[in-house]
Amino acid sequence: MVWQFSWLLLAATVQAASLSLQSPRFTISTPDATQLRSDTLSLTKKPEPLTLGPTDTLKLTFQITESDEGKGVQPHQTFLRFYDKASGEEGIQPVRVTPGGKAKFELNMARPPASIPPTTHNPLEVSLILGSFVHAPAQYDLFDLYLPASHTPAEHPDEASFHVLPAIKHTFRPEQKSPPQFVSAIFAATVLSPWLVLIGLVRFLHQIDPQLTDFVIKVE
Amino acid sequence: MAGPKSSSKPSPASSETYVAVSTLWTSYLDQTPDRLKFIDAFLAFTVLSGVLQFVYCVLVTNFPFNAFLAGFASSVGQFVLTASLRAQVNPENRSEFKEVSPERAFADFALGSIVLHFFVFNFLG
Repeated sequence: MVWQFSWLLLAATVQAASLSLQSPRFTISTPDATQLRSDTLSLTKKPEPLTLGPTDTLKLTFQITESDEGKGVQPHQTFLRFYDKASGEEGIQPVRVTPGGKAKFELNMARPPASIPPTTHNPLEVSLILGSFVHAPAQYDLFDLYLPASHTPAEHPDEASFHVLPAIKHTFRPEQKSPPQFVSAIFAATVLSPWLVLIGLVRFLHQIDPQLTDFVIKVE
Repeated sequence: MAGPKSSSKPSPASSETYVAVSTLWTSYLDQTPDRLKFIDAFLAFTVLSGVLQFVYCVLVTNFPFNAFLAGFASSVGQFVLTASLRAQVNPENRSEFKEVSPERAFADFALGSIVLHFFVFNFLG
C-alpha cells in the first residue's frame, strides 16, 4: 500500500517539470526553392499573418526542451492545431519529434495533408499543443495563416432526394349524394311492392283454406 | 327479306322444359300442405324484397351503404330463418327432426327473427 502511494508522490513531483519551446522558425518557399519569407517566432507576440499560395511550402522547425535551457525531450503528444475562429473548423496535425526534442514540419499546399480544415478567406490560427505523461501540458499560439480557400464539398449522390417536394394538394372524394327524389320515390315504391305480392298470396291461400289464414285475415 | 318465322308449335327442348315446370307446379299445388304454402309465400316475399333492394343498389346508388347492408341482410337472414322453420315443420322431415317439435321450431324462428331485426334496426342508421 505504501509502495503505490510513494509512486504517486514521485509522479506528482516529476509532474512539476514543464516543457518549453526553443528556437521556433518558419520558412515559406515557392516550388522553385525561392524563399518568400523566413523568420523566427516569438512566443510572446504573433508575427504578421503568414500567407501561402496554392503551390507554396511552409517549413516549421523547433525544439522542445525541459524547462528553459534544459535537455531536449520528446513529449508523448505533439500536435499542430489549425483553427478557423469564424467557422469553428479545426484540424489537428501530429508532428514527429526526435528523441532529442527536435521537430520539423512541412506543409506543401500542392499536396496538403487531410488534417487541414476547410478554409475560407479567414485566417487559420496555428498553435502547438504538447502533451506528456510526465510534464505539464503546454500550448503555444504560433501565428495566423492564410491558406487558399477550399473548394465547396462534392455533391452527395443522394442530394437530390433531399430537395423540397412540391406541396401535395389533396383532393378529397366528393361527398356522396342521394339520388334525385323522383328516382328515390320510384324505387321506394318498387322495394315495397313485395308487400302487395305477399298480401295477394295470402288472400289466394285464404280462398283455398280459410282456416289457415285466420290469424292474418279476419273473415268479413 | 324473309318473313318472321311463325312458330305456333314450340321447339322440342322448350316444350320439355315447359312440361317439366308445369308438372312441378301442379304437383306442388296438390301435394304441399297449406301451412307450408303459407311459409312459401313468405319466402317468396322475402326473396323478392332482397332482390329488389340489390337491384336498386346496383342500378342507382349504394349511398347509405350501411342502410343497404342492413336491408339486404334483413332479407337474407329472414329467408334463412324461415327456410329452416319450413324444413323443421315439414311433416315429411319428421324423421330428421325427432327432438324438435314444430312449436319449438317456431319459437326458435321467432327468437331468431327478433335478434335479427334488433341488429338490422341498429345498423340501419
